[in-house]
Amino acid sequence: MKRILALLLTVALLPCFPAFADSAEPGLLRTAVLYDISTMDVTETTDDYLIPMNVFDRLFETRPAGGSSEIVKSLVTDYSVSEDGLTYDFTLRGGVVFSNGSALTASDVQYSFERLLKAARENTEIPLEIVGGEAVMNGEADVLEGFRVTDDTHFSVTLASPNAGFLAELSAPAMSIVDAETMADVKAFGKEPADTVGTGPYRVTEWVSNDHYTLVYNEKYWGAEPSVKKLIVKTIPDAMSQNLMFQNGELDIIDLQSQDSAVVASTYKADPSARIVSTPNVGMIYLIMNENTPWLRDVRVRKAIGMAIDRDQIIQGVFMGDAVKENGVIPNGVWGHNDALEGFAFDPDGARALLREAGCKDGEIRFELSMDSTANTSTQLIYAFISDSLRRIGIEATVVSYDHSSWLAKRSSGEMDSFVARWGMDYNDPANIMYTFFGSAESTKARSINYSDADVIARVAAARAIADDAARMSEYQALEKKLIADDAAWIPFCVGLHLWCLGDRVESFTPQWAGFADFYAADVVLR
Amino acid sequence: MRRSIAQRFLQALIVLVGVVLLTFVMLRVVPGNPIETMMGEHADAATVARMTAELGLDQPMHRQFLRYLSSALRGDFGTSYSLGKPVSLLLKSAFRNTLYLALFAALFAWILGVACGLVCAVSKNRLPDRLFLGFSLLGISLPVFMAAMFLQYVLAFKLKWFPISGTDSWRGFVLPAAALGWNSAGQVAQMTRTSLLETLQEDYIETARAKGLGRFGVLVRHALRNAMLPVLTLMAIQFSGLLSGAVITETVFSINGVGRLMVQAISGRDIPLLQGTSLLATSVVILGSLLADCLYSVLDPRIRKEG
Repeated sequence: MKRILALLLTVALLPCFPAFADSAEPGLLRTAVLYDISTMDVTETTDDYLIPMNVFDRLFETRPAGGSSEIVKSLVTDYSVSEDGLTYDFTLRGGVVFSNGSALTASDVQYSFERLLKAARENTEIPLEIVGGEAVMNGEADVLEGFRVTDDTHFSVTLASPNAGFLAELSAPAMSIVDAETMADVKAFGKEPADTVGTGPYRVTEWVSNDHYTLVYNEKYWGAEPSVKKLIVKTIPDAMSQNLMFQNGELDIIDLQSQDSAVVASTYKADPSARIVSTPNVGMIYLIMNENTPWLRDVRVRKAIGMAIDRDQIIQGVFMGDAVKENGVIPNGVWGHNDALEGFAFDPDGARALLREAGCKDGEIRFELSMDSTANTSTQLIYAFISDSLRRIGIEATVVSYDHSSWLAKRSSGEMDSFVARWGMDYNDPANIMYTFFGSAESTKARSINYSDADVIARVAAARAIADDAARMSEYQALEKKLIADDAAWIPFCVGLHLWCLGDRVESFTPQWAGFADFYAADVVLR
Repeated sequence: MRRSIAQRFLQALIVLVGVVLLTFVMLRVVPGNPIETMMGEHADAATVARMTAELGLDQPMHRQFLRYLSSALRGDFGTSYSLGKPVSLLLKSAFRNTLYLALFAALFAWILGVACGLVCAVSKNRLPDRLFLGFSLLGISLPVFMAAMFLQYVLAFKLKWFPISGTDSWRGFVLPAAALGWNSAGQVAQMTRTSLLETLQEDYIETARAKGLGRFGVLVRHALRNAMLPVLTLMAIQFSGLLSGAVITETVFSINGVGRLMVQAISGRDIPLLQGTSLLATSVVILGSLLADCLYSVLDPRIRKEG
C-alpha cells in the first residue's frame, strides 16, 4: 500500500517538474505533415517531392514570378534548340559537386534519365520522349540512343517528336539529377539518408519512419547559402495536434491545407496578427461524366449538369472564398491559360429545358457519383453539393463511397459513371493536363471519361509538337473550347488557394510555383 | 494443469493459422489492385501489370500463400508497398513504441483502477463510493479521443507540462498513457469494487475478523488478494488489447505504433504490412488470453486442481 501511495504521490507531483520546452536552435525550421513519405527516390513516387526538391537539382527550375512563373536555368548555363525542335544542346554548370564530393558530369544526367526508364515505375513519361526511350524501358537497349555526351559539361538530347514544353518538363521534380558513381556504390538509394546524395542545397541526415526526417545545409552547394540551415519535418497525423503545436511555437510553418476550413477561419483568418501566405494550387478540380454511361453520352445532359451546378457557391461555401474559378482545361497560372474562356453559367431553368430537349423525364436520369473514401472534407462537400444541385433539376446522382483501392480500380476500368477529382500540375505546360487526360483513347478510358471524338484526341496528341508558341497556344485554346464549351467533356470547378501560416521565427516564405505542399526550404527566410 | 495449458496452446495455434489464412484470402478477393493504389494517380496500365507480376500478385493464390508462409516462418514478412521498408523492421520499431505506451497505460489504469475500486468497496453506498463510481463510469464512457484532446489541450497546450505530441522522452508517454488507460482504469475500478464487495461477504473474512486481524489486514491480505482473481484476468485481456494497437491515441499523439501502422496499411492496401500487423495483433491477443488463462489456473487452486 505504501508503494502505491508513493506512486500516486509521484503522479501528483508531476506538475512540479520544469515545464516542457521545445527549443529551436538558430537556422532551424520546423514543420509538419499529416503523412510520412514512402521514398526519397523519384523513380518510385509522384507525390513525395519535398526531399527530391531540396536534396537534388534539376537542369531547370520553375520559379514563381510576379503572380505567374518562369523557367530558369539551374544545372545548365546554356542551351540551344535545333530548327526542327528535336535536338537540344546543353551546357552544364561547371564546378558543381554532389554532397559527397563527387563531381557532376553530363554522364550523370544521362544516367539519371536512363535510371527512370530502367526502373520503369514512376515518372517515365518525360525520358520516354527521347529517341530510344522505349527500348531502354523495355530492356532492349542499355543506353539512350538520343542522348549524346560530348564532354563532362556538354551533351545533347534528341526527342522522338518535337515537344515545345520539353524544358518545362525538365524542371519537374521527377527530373532530379543523381550521381552515377555514387549509385554504383550504394545499396539503399531513396531509403537510407546516407545513400541519398544530390547536388541540392540540403542533404538528408535522418529519416525515422512515421516520426520525422531531417535535412541540413549542404556545404558543398554551388548556389547561395540559404537562411534555413536545418529542416525538421515531423509526421503529425492529427490536424488538431499540428494546430496546437503551431500555436505553442513548436512549429515554424503550418500548412493550413491540413486543417479543417472552420479551424482556418476561426483560428487563423480571424486573427489579424496571423501571417498567412497563399498561392493557387495550380491545377483543376473537375467533375467527370463517363460518355459510356446511359444518358451521360448525350452532350445536352452533360451540359445541363454543368448549368445546374453553381460553381460560385462551391467557392464560397466549400472553400470560404479561397479558390479561383476555372472554366476550361488549362488552369490559372499555367502557360496557355485562357482568361477569356466562358464556363458553364449557372442556369437551372436552362438546364431543365436542355433535359426536356434530350427527352428526359423528371427522375429518369440516375447515375452514381463515386467518391474515394480518402477524399478530404472539401471534396466530400462538393459531392454533396453536386448531388443536391442535380436533384433540383430532376437528376438522381447518388454518392457512393469506395475505399481508395477499389475507387482507383473502378475508375481505371473505364466504368465509373461520374466522379470529382483534382489534378495538380507537375510542370508549367498545358500538355501536363491536356495530353494526360485527352491525349489518347486509353488515357480517356483510364480516367473513365471515354471521350469519343477521335479527331480531337489526335489533335491533342499532335499539339505537343507545335514548336511555335503562339500557334501551340492557339491550338490548345481551340481544343479547350471544343472539349468544354462544345462537348462538355468535364465540368471544371475551381482551384483552391493553398494557405500557410508563418510562425514568429519566420521572416518570409515563397511557396512552390504550383502551390505544392512540398516547398524549397531555401525559399524560407528566418528572422 | 499442464494438459490444460497444452490444449489452450494448441487452440491458440489453430486460431493463429486461421487468422493468417483468412487475412491472406480476404486481402486478395476484395476489389482493387494494391499496385494501382501504391502507384497512384500517374500509374499507367502497363507499369501496374509489370509491378503486379514482379511482386508475384498474378500467381495462383495457393502458391502466393505457401510462399508467404515459408518466408514468414523465416521471419521475412516482405517489404511494405507504401513505406518501402521490410515489414519486420517496421513492426519492430512500432511494437517497441506500442509496448512502452501499453506498459505506461496499464500502470496508470491498474494503479488508479484498483485504488478507486478499493475506496468504493470500503465506503459502499457512501459519498466516496458514489464519487469514485461516477469517476469510473466517466472513465468507461468517455471516448479515448475526447480524453486525449482534453489532456492534450489542458496539460500540454495550456500548462505546457508535457509535449503536445511525439515521444522523444518519457514525458511524451505520460499523456497518451493516461488517455489510453483512462477507459481501462474505469473497468478495473468497477471490477475491483464488485469483486471486493462479494469477497467481503465470504465466511473466511468473518473468520479473519473474529481472529482479531485489523481492518487493513483483512482488507488487503484476505479480501483484496482473493478479489483480484477476476481483476487480473481483466488486466491480462486489457493489456493484450492495449498492445494490439491503440489507433486513436497513437494518431492524436503522433506515436509510431502498431495501430497507426495498421491503419496506414489498410488505407494503402499495403498487403505485406497489413498481413504483418494483423499477425502481430492476433498473436498478442491470443498470447494475452493464453496468459490470462494460465494466470487464473496458477492463482486459483480450484482451477489448478480441476485442470
